[in-house]
Amino acid sequence: MSDEIWVVADLTIDGNVRKVTLEALSEARRKLAGKLGGQLCGVLLGSGVSGLAPELGKYGAEKVYVINNKLLKDYTPEGYAIALSDLIKRHNPAIVITGNTSVGQDFFPRTAARVGAGLTLDAVDLDLTDDKRLKVQRYKYSAKSITTVEFLDNRPMMTTIRPNVFKPEEGSKAGEVVNESVDLKPEHIVTKIVEVKRKQSERPELTEAERIVSGGRGLGSEENFKYIFELADAFGAAAGASRAAVDSGYAPFEMQVGQTGKVVSPVLYVAVAISGSIQHFAGMGSSKVIVAINKDPEAPIFQKCDYGICGDLFEVLPPLTEEVKKLLAQQ
Amino acid sequence: MRIVVIVRQTPDTEAKIKVASSGNTIDPEGIKWIVNPYDEFAIEEAIRIKEKLGGEVVLITMGPARCAEALRTGLAMGADSAVHVKDDSFAFTDPYAISKVLANEIKHIGEFNLILTGKKMIDEETGQIGIHVAEDLGIPHVAIVTKLEINPDQKKATCQKEIEGGQVILDVPLPALITCERGLNEPRYASLPGIMKAKKKPLKEVTLDSIDAGALGLTKEAFGLGGARLKTVAYRIPQIERRLKLIKGTKQDMVKNNEIVEASGELIKLLREDAKVI
Repeated sequence: MSDEIWVVADLTIDGNVRKVTLEALSEARRKLAGKLGGQLCGVLLGSGVSGLAPELGKYGAEKVYVINNKLLKDYTPEGYAIALSDLIKRHNPAIVITGNTSVGQDFFPRTAARVGAGLTLDAVDLDLTDDKRLKVQRYKYSAKSITTVEFLDNRPMMTTIRPNVFKPEEGSKAGEVVNESVDLKPEHIVTKIVEVKRKQSERPELTEAERIVSGGRGLGSEENFKYIFELADAFGAAAGASRAAVDSGYAPFEMQVGQTGKVVSPVLYVAVAISGSIQHFAGMGSSKVIVAINKDPEAPIFQKCDYGICGDLFEVLPPLTEEVKKLLAQQ
Repeated sequence: MRIVVIVRQTPDTEAKIKVASSGNTIDPEGIKWIVNPYDEFAIEEAIRIKEKLGGEVVLITMGPARCAEALRTGLAMGADSAVHVKDDSFAFTDPYAISKVLANEIKHIGEFNLILTGKKMIDEETGQIGIHVAEDLGIPHVAIVTKLEINPDQKKATCQKEIEGGQVILDVPLPALITCERGLNEPRYASLPGIMKAKKKPLKEVTLDSIDAGALGLTKEAFGLGGARLKTVAYRIPQIERRLKLIKGTKQDMVKNNEIVEASGELIKLLREDAKVI
């Protein structure tokens, strides 16, 4: 049994290390490694991924386990779960962490089931109990409540972390690379990727964005969402929508923020023509700064925002977009 | 096609969550319970597949007595039968123990071609249970699916899912477990005849006594607040102090004409100098 803490790297569609991986390494170094007394390690799963090890080292991984295998070139939950669970059984780490992304949420449950580990998803705080068990804080009922969850003494203790919550911070150590292998056979991989379509949009992902501009039913049409996109682009922000706007057909469901949509925690959330229902706040209530633009002075969102402008969005957004563009061009 | 749907009963999305005096659970007082919205997509999809290809839809849930209502809703929508793994302690059971028990009870349901469930439970905020069940049953899974096509001749399902930066289409051999995302379908409302019929459909109860916890690698304490792998020690309602600075126009009248440029300028200044976020 080792006291190692592992951070499994999450890679983008283009094979780069996702920011959430660096956030996980940084927070594990700050909050867990010293107290636990074990080494902080990175884990890279894929094909031809050794070149990414130095980046994990830069953010604090003292050791990087690398599994290069052609069968891991495309992500599949079975391939990743077999590779990681074999590696866990071989080295018995104390804690295993990854990002709460579409990949992390997908293969961590499968891996935890294979090794009999407890798993929490989407942690927003990491800590240890006095007897060195992992203790996390996570939301339940979307952003309506925060729970503190302790792991019982079953190693390893596994968690995913919410992107954008922990600050990435470079460490001083350079990671030592440890090449590992996995006994993976083609018949283990049963899901077959037929096609990957890339999104045309240059805008950031909602769940990872530092700034988000969202529109509500008050936009009135799909076409009018251009006002939201223009302000989002001026801010370099992702674009979101309320459930009412999605239900009215003004925006696709992938844009929905709320309890039955995406849960986000940006630094800046601009809610345009969104009244501020409980279920919308359940998805964005943890945003650092909330701006409300709404023509109804009685809209509940004015009671729960940092800055509010009562005005008609069609009159407010164009000059605001211009001002933001001007300002950010100066910087 | 024999389709199993894993269902959860959750508080309504508009429900206000309060912490119980014990501090480690929520106060159920006044909560309206519904079928987990993502599980509704799963039930709807199962019924649509049955309507197209024939077969049977079996619902399963694990939870206290109140959860029977969620099963009746699913039966009224068109599912054929249901299994309720029932005990009051199951309101607090951790995901690990729920997964172990559900996987075991699904084995008792017999052969199936497909398992559907929601991408996450909106109360526990986790999508891990379905995937864990798939692993325990030794079948593949595809999570967070927005489009599903079943090909019974080739015994496969073609699934579409959204990922960061794109969309993936993949094939998975059946039997498989699929978790359902908003966008997959528009769930129907139960009709009045559907509700009447549902009362006569078989709803089997499985009690705590009949679960051999030891055989699942669990203790009986795992089913309550004790937990199998995780223990929830505290709940709190997040309180974020908001600045509540309302820029000219707010609370009196809408900003108009030349005030608008001024207001947007003031907002930017506040974001820059007060909040320091741009």
